[in-house]
Amino acid sequence: MILKFAFALAWLVMQACFVHAQTKGETGVRGEIVGQGGLKFPIAVSPLKNLGSGADAGRLSEGIADTIVYDLDLSGWFKVVDRAAYIESPQKSGVMLGTFDFKDWSTIGAEGLVKGGFTVQGDEVAVELRLFDVFQSKERVGKRYVGKVKDYRRIAHKFADEIINQFTGVPGIFNTRIAYVSTSGGRFKEIHVAHLDGSEKFQLTSNRTINLSPSWTPDGKSVLYTSYKDRNSSLYLFELYSGKEVKFAPRNGRYLGGKISPDGQFIAATAEAGGNSNINLLDRNGNLIRSLTENAGIEVSPSWSPDSRQLAFVSDRSGSPQVYVLDVASNKTRRITYSGNYNTSPEWAPRGDRIAYTGRVGNRFAIFTISVDGGEPRKLTAESADSEDPTWSPDGRFIVFSSNRAGKYHLYLMQANGENQRRLTGSGGDDTKPSWSPRLE
Amino acid sequence: MAAMDKTVWCGVMSIFIFAALGCAPSATSKPDPSVASPAKPAPKSGGEGRSPTKESTAGEGSSLDQLREGKPQVSGPLKDIFFGFDRYDLEAEARSTLKANADWLKKNPAARVEIEGHCDERGTNEYNLALGAKRAQAAKDYLVTLGIATERLSTISYGEEISLCKEPNESCWRQNRRARFVIIPSRPAS
Repeated sequence: MILKFAFALAWLVMQACFVHAQTKGETGVRGEIVGQGGLKFPIAVSPLKNLGSGADAGRLSEGIADTIVYDLDLSGWFKVVDRAAYIESPQKSGVMLGTFDFKDWSTIGAEGLVKGGFTVQGDEVAVELRLFDVFQSKERVGKRYVGKVKDYRRIAHKFADEIINQFTGVPGIFNTRIAYVSTSGGRFKEIHVAHLDGSEKFQLTSNRTINLSPSWTPDGKSVLYTSYKDRNSSLYLFELYSGKEVKFAPRNGRYLGGKISPDGQFIAATAEAGGNSNINLLDRNGNLIRSLTENAGIEVSPSWSPDSRQLAFVSDRSGSPQVYVLDVASNKTRRITYSGNYNTSPEWAPRGDRIAYTGRVGNRFAIFTISVDGGEPRKLTAESADSEDPTWSPDGRFIVFSSNRAGKYHLYLMQANGENQRRLTGSGGDDTKPSWSPRLE
Repeated sequence: MAAMDKTVWCGVMSIFIFAALGCAPSATSKPDPSVASPAKPAPKSGGEGRSPTKESTAGEGSSLDQLREGKPQVSGPLKDIFFGFDRYDLEAEARSTLKANADWLKKNPAARVEIEGHCDERGTNEYNLALGAKRAQAAKDYLVTLGIATERLSTISYGEEISLCKEPNESCWRQNRRARFVIIPSRPAS
């Protein structure tokens, strides 16, 4: 088996730890390369070799390597060997098996190695990237990508996803974006969109009012959000590439938030009228199909199950906000959370097995996950500060959330078990209410 | 690009013209799947929707207007009422304030009021929007029991989105857990 050592280590570590990521319906080795403390896989990412004749004007050699390093580091599964320790010269040595010396890499402690080359032609770049097993002196995988020079980070993200695929059997999630609410240092709340590494940042709204609760359509092409730009809060569906926007408002009252179902067919919307908030089922064009809840209380924050058949939501029908699950076909409802007197913003995991939510602990808020069957919740963040608004990665292995642990609210990423909490690049203001996109092309 | 700008300009202008003619499609009349505004992510598109709504507020102005204009929040003759954390029931002090507000409204029968529900910044935004709606409604219901016509009272929730006090402590949070009463002048013609 190629990259035997890596797999052996990954397997061992997986056995040693509690993280088991069995994915239904798939075969092969499944696991997370994760350990308590120092059990990260040591890997080196060489700057790429310029295979063309021109100068590396776009600094692609290091730019692509830097992006891969950022992604691997962010995953928490790798220890990337510091570039300052690298022995060989990336522009002189080869990038294919047999044209470089594995000893240059084993000497500095790397067990995995990423090398590659690129050729720029006009505004396009062809990039080849390879993952090697240093101990076996073998190539594990090689890929070739062609794209715009300015989009070189996307190529790097794709190969980082492939590296994660080689180690775990499931591709990574680095070619995704986060939509979030930001004050950008001002007093308005606007929707922003950016990659996990903060690149390709883009401001979706600029209406100088309050814009809230972004969420993605399953095709990753549109964002649904709540806005006060027409004075009353309404839902808006914004198509990213065309800039086209559709507004949804109920017959009576107003919408406070909503989510599109994973099958793309429906919208679950929180509608408020006469002080009471309830969950409504709408078609994709915003037409009311029926009310899913009809209570004289607070029923908010619907989140779809991956099969689009159930909704997690928050209700205060017990006297305090708690997470419930509702079967859309039968309207049958069951309560999920019982500990604590404030459990809100449920987010159903893409693997279907757990629900993440925000819970109050003393005077603080923390991120929890709980089985969809109920049971004991797991607290993932410390209550030394507030952490709110969890959103799952498309593969269910990570959670991004917002926290004020560094003063202002920033976005943080952690593994789904709460390990390796890392701050993401922000906007300079308060960044809240993140929503993780599906995998993008 | 020029064509795109033109489309946006035409879209925005047609909204303005509709508004001026008094036949702007009401946002609340039915689900509106039509393109409301061909907004694009340019900073310029910020002003849309502002003109058609300005007529409905005056005096101290809604919290949203004050946010837009960057003014500090000032209150009118009607006093704010305050709530406990995650509560929308009326405390004794809130009831006596509401009685005073009702007296003022009886003396000023032309005045219409928009009641704003607000929350402190703790907890989840969407839940707080719903909680703010409950607070505004609780205030409205009590004013109605005190004899104020329901037609004079409307509600809106801003959740935790427009806070009055920014410090992370209980006295500040309490100031933010409020219902605010904004006087809307009655329309001249009607």
